[in-house]
Amino acid sequence: MSDTKKTTPTTSGETFEFNAANLATYKEILTRYDDVESALLPTLHLVQEQNKWIPPQAITYISTLMSIPEIKIKEVISFYDMFYDVPVARNMVQVCTNISCSMFGGREIYQGLLKHFDTGYLTPTTDGRISLQKMECLGACELAPCMRVNDEYVKNIDLAAAIQKLGELR
Amino acid sequence: MKDVANYKDYALLSYHHIPGVNNIEVFEKAGGYETMKACFDKDPESIKEEVKLSGLRGRGGAGFPTGMKWGFFSKDRAAKKYLLCNADESEPGTFKDRYLVEKNPHILIEGMIISAWALATQKGYIYIRGEFHQQAVTLEKAIKEAYAKGYLGKNILGKGFDFDLYVHRGAGAYICGEETGMISSLEGKKGQPKLKPPFPAIKGYRGYPTMVNNVESLAAVSWIMRHGAAAYKQWGTEKSPGTKLFSISGDVNKPGVIEVPLSTSLKDIIEIHCGGMRNGKKLKAVIPGGSSCPIFDAEVSNVVKMDYEDVAAKGSMLGSGAIIVMDETRNMGDVLKWTLEFYHHESCGQCTPCREGTGWLESVFKRRDKGTAKKSDIDLLDKTASAMRGQTICALADAAAMPTQGMIKAFREELETYVSASPKK
Repeated sequence: MSDTKKTTPTTSGETFEFNAANLATYKEILTRYDDVESALLPTLHLVQEQNKWIPPQAITYISTLMSIPEIKIKEVISFYDMFYDVPVARNMVQVCTNISCSMFGGREIYQGLLKHFDTGYLTPTTDGRISLQKMECLGACELAPCMRVNDEYVKNIDLAAAIQKLGELR
Repeated sequence: MKDVANYKDYALLSYHHIPGVNNIEVFEKAGGYETMKACFDKDPESIKEEVKLSGLRGRGGAGFPTGMKWGFFSKDRAAKKYLLCNADESEPGTFKDRYLVEKNPHILIEGMIISAWALATQKGYIYIRGEFHQQAVTLEKAIKEAYAKGYLGKNILGKGFDFDLYVHRGAGAYICGEETGMISSLEGKKGQPKLKPPFPAIKGYRGYPTMVNNVESLAAVSWIMRHGAAAYKQWGTEKSPGTKLFSISGDVNKPGVIEVPLSTSLKDIIEIHCGGMRNGKKLKAVIPGGSSCPIFDAEVSNVVKMDYEDVAAKGSMLGSGAIIVMDETRNMGDVLKWTLEFYHHESCGQCTPCREGTGWLESVFKRRDKGTAKKSDIDLLDKTASAMRGQTICALADAAAMPTQGMIKAFREELETYVSASPKK
């Protein structure tokens, strides 16, 4: 897990802006590209590193910062599965449900986890610890069934092992 | 996980047995970056010629000859041009590029610097799928090492050539593996593919000529320039020369990535390299090149050779080399259902035949779950798939239609039983 910050997701009424370190990172990101627009995906990743999800205030902030219309940012966020415009929990758990993982129970594991944690797609558990996301092929089919816990791949899981692993998350 | 001999025998994975080869010092001790240095003393055109002679074909899935693709690229060395490495690896079943770069990022970086010199591109990006966060970090660290050695940046090794290289992370979208979708995504937009022509080699990222090559292709450039086109052609066939990385998953004892000469038989791959079928079960079917490729039944699987021509002659595609093996216990209805859910989810939505068609295909299986699907729905699947093919900007519609029709051809009866015998009935 690369991001160990325990941030409280921004709720309505609060403002969003990059902290000093991330503002410096943003400026470094800009140097990699020949135009500002190309830096949008890495900048949105950076918003999520700071805040876990992208609240409306962050869209307004990024729009001003990058001079990109809000609607363009919204359509990008809605297009990609790994950008979240709804609040998500401190830990993101992605369960693969494509062919190889489904052959070894990936779908049952995902459904079992939803039931065990009494939650739905992306909805944070009441303690704010875990959001579950059903994902398409994670590109690790030799590890089937696999899941991603934050940025770490966990292989050959079964439901019991998955529940135990997620139980260890803070 | 695999026999050690397999690591040493061939090309791209020949460094994988060296501990710590992700570190530039270790990679250089094994001969890494020597080829790059030698290439700066070569005429760029001669490098392109060598790659063309090697017969290397694009390893991302399309199999288009890399040297020919390079031939379409502007020779104007002063013109603004980009090199884009496709590390999106989104075709279900594929994980070879991840395996290659997570252990040996420098073979890719060296291949990219050589390619950049040959093609005279001043900037390069490695577009890697968002899920591969750790691999992106590995690549970034390796790029930093290469900058520190003066292999990247301004005036590389005093040769008056500039090349900057960056990692660009995707954010979870299958279609960004399609080269024009990838360019849209790099431009900070939705990853929607663009009409071709113009091809990216003429008009790509930000409107400038952009060469898009797969990870495995670019890594192969490094090996080919080190050992020569003739050495590369010792493997494979006349039309499918060289080695190929295959990602094997499903019902085999040892799933994983192997590198073997093209035209190795699928039977050998399963029996010898993957330790045979799990639990001694019987082979039923194999997807040979990723989920968009039509499935082979056991009979074809036992005779097919894994090269571009033989797989095509038998009705499927070599694709990205993603082999998914299924035993006798697997239901082909489940497999097609999972496949179609995926393509419907991943359709970018801009072309009607794909946006609507993938939904229609999936809807048969939704009706099955409700108990209202009929045997005749298989004909509907076939007809819908047929109407989707060749009608859209990119190949995603075909990628959904082809495995549908392939599955119907090979396993029609099983599919008819599957949809009409709903779990609700």
